[in-house]
Amino acid sequence: MTAGTRLCTWLNGKLVGTDEFGNRYYTERREPVGRKARRWVIYQGEAEASKVPAEWHAWLHYTTEQPIAADVQGAKPWMRPHVPNLTGTADAYLPPGDDRRGGRRERSASDYESWRP
Amino acid sequence: MPKLTIDGIEVEVPAGVTILQACETLGIEIPRFCYHERLQIAGNCRMCLVEVEKSPKPVASCAMPVADGMVVHTGSPMVEKARKGVMEFLLINHPLDCPICDQGGECDLQDQAIGYGFDRGRFSENKRAVKDKNFGPLIKTYMTRCIHCTRCIRFITEVAGVPELGATGRGENMEVGTYVEKALSSELSGNIIDLCPVGALTSKPFAFTARPWELRKTESIDVLDALGSNIRVDARGAAVMRVLPRINDDVNEEWLSDKSRFAYDGLQRQRLDTPYVRRDGRLQPASWQDAFAAIAARLNGVDGKRIAAIAGDLADCESMVALKDLTAALGSPNIDCRQDGAKLDASVRASYLFNTTVAGIEEADALLLIGTDPRREAAVLNARIRKRWLNGRFPIASVGPKVDLTYRYEWLGDEPRLLTDIAEAKHPFAEVLKGAQKPMLILGMGALARPDGAAVLAAARRLAETCGMVKDGWNGFNVLHLAAARVGGLDLGLVPGKGGRDVAGILAGAEKGDIEVVYLLGADEIDMDRLGKAFVIYQGHHGDAGAHRADVVLPGAAYTEKNATYVNTEGRAQETRLAVFPPGEAREDWKVLRALSEALGHRLPYDSLREVRERMLAVSRVFAHRDAVAAAEWGAFGTDGALDNAPFVSPIENFYMTDPISRASKTMAECTALFVAGNQRKTGTHG
Repeated sequence: MTAGTRLCTWLNGKLVGTDEFGNRYYTERREPVGRKARRWVIYQGEAEASKVPAEWHAWLHYTTEQPIAADVQGAKPWMRPHVPNLTGTADAYLPPGDDRRGGRRERSASDYESWRP
Repeated sequence: MPKLTIDGIEVEVPAGVTILQACETLGIEIPRFCYHERLQIAGNCRMCLVEVEKSPKPVASCAMPVADGMVVHTGSPMVEKARKGVMEFLLINHPLDCPICDQGGECDLQDQAIGYGFDRGRFSENKRAVKDKNFGPLIKTYMTRCIHCTRCIRFITEVAGVPELGATGRGENMEVGTYVEKALSSELSGNIIDLCPVGALTSKPFAFTARPWELRKTESIDVLDALGSNIRVDARGAAVMRVLPRINDDVNEEWLSDKSRFAYDGLQRQRLDTPYVRRDGRLQPASWQDAFAAIAARLNGVDGKRIAAIAGDLADCESMVALKDLTAALGSPNIDCRQDGAKLDASVRASYLFNTTVAGIEEADALLLIGTDPRREAAVLNARIRKRWLNGRFPIASVGPKVDLTYRYEWLGDEPRLLTDIAEAKHPFAEVLKGAQKPMLILGMGALARPDGAAVLAAARRLAETCGMVKDGWNGFNVLHLAAARVGGLDLGLVPGKGGRDVAGILAGAEKGDIEVVYLLGADEIDMDRLGKAFVIYQGHHGDAGAHRADVVLPGAAYTEKNATYVNTEGRAQETRLAVFPPGEAREDWKVLRALSEALGHRLPYDSLREVRERMLAVSRVFAHRDAVAAAEWGAFGTDGALDNAPFVSPIENFYMTDPISRASKTMAECTALFVAGNQRKTGTHG
């Protein structure tokens, strides 16, 4: 968070809510005239756009008027917790054939059986 | 020649052609399902309807001969409406399963539905469902998709000559099948997969493995028999996914034998992908440098006369010329490309070629088969003989194995003395040959690969000369080879030099210890036990008999993995092209020999494919042209001698497994179990 963002949030921001990861969501304190009120997020830790869970993403992009509660009624058992993009981190996805994951992959059509004496 | 008007263009065509063929001369394509150029006309799909003026109804153009003054419209509203109607009827009972159908993307029905299909279905009743048939391990059926074009029935009956397919029931209830469940026993059965315009007949080994649009297509040449069928190799990634025939009217028309079509899965198994060197009695993986060093160490100080080389059945001309140059540089006269021991004469080119050419069979008017079973030795060539036979007045006789050849022939016996009888006109068939304008004979390896082969060759030459088979503009003397490499090897002169040993001599020498080093270039069909204590270098692509015996194994490339030249049994030089790269450490064969020559201190003077081919051209002018046959000069060949009394037998016991590739193939193993070992399930009607 830069000093400018901090100052701007302190002067104009109204805290709307906080998600389960601790990201804080703000909107403008005073209703502007002639445009929509700005909505923004102050990330917990590193600023990373994919950290925003789906329900807050919808609010942040004006898809919904009010933020959707995470424990909304009717949450299905197959709904999985939000995971930010892990690319470039230690938890990044590795395909099964990757050496760092054992190097064992399923047989593919391009595989050949070599002769062994 | 009738004159007719098609779409306002006046055209003159030969009498007897159909409207559809007349349209094709103008480049107008008529949609069709049942019509096929190489099959009889059935006229039952009705897709090719056109409007002919003064005719009350649309006319099926595939079955209607042209007449003078006809006025044909191929794109009028009436034609459009008729074709749309036909298409709607066809689609009534055709399942909408294109997304899971193997024919998707190369389906005639799919393509033509783009042009003539209705945008919604008006058929709300139940669709017809047909039980799938079992046509054996090669052909997968999905008979609900069948549109009753009867192409498969016509092919199996006419071209393959094995009347096993037929239709039962009529109208909507018609079903294509084998009446009594059995596998199609034809060697050409795979072609009905290509002929089927929909996905009713698809390839079983290829099922659900790839889509046609994701395959890399490479035009190449088949090497699993000596015919040199033109093929297209479809590959994805590093794997050959399927092999399809390519049209070449001079060689294979558009057919392909089942072995050539389905043995490709053998290219994925038992592959040699790294050099091996025998250490402490066991073959151990090694680097190229170590392998070359082991060979150089063993060859060091060995006299050239104690070195021998044998080229195998799948060797390409580039590697054979390199092998020849290398053995010459080592001072060895012991080189041979006839690993089956055939007594072929390399000095007279006409003595080892199929001089009549494959297309020339259609001009012949009498045929004598000698020690050959063309149905198993070259299935597509056999279809050509059958095609000629169907045209009538084509007496065929055979001196050799008594087998079912898909056409009627007179079996004269299997004793070699019959050849001299016919040549001396003591046999009634000599009259038939003498009465013919263009008689021909086909001499198989069953007659030549025997101790008295040279005498048989001489007897056959005399027979050809006395029966008028060799004259101006006609040469009826034909040798049918089994190996794709053989003619190329003979053209390049891979035969023993002065004082050199042939295959039998090499084996005898190795047994006694006179031959110390044997170089096998893909030679697997020789008796490995007879190599004795010799140091064996095996270069090839499959771990077959040769690799097991070898002391050093050098991995080479299979025919789909190299740009190489092969000469077919007619003497036609053709090129295979690289479709996928050789696996692992394996390299193109001539490069292996070139690298080895450097390690041995006899650097071969070529570094690129172009230079190797220039060297081939210097050895033989045959390689000057691709896909062309030059008539070979007639001369004296063969050695007169006593003929053995042993009967002629065909060298092919199992059509499905004749070389390292097909022996490694699972599909071919299934076919062998079914057709050769006779595991076809018996039904109640079997005896």
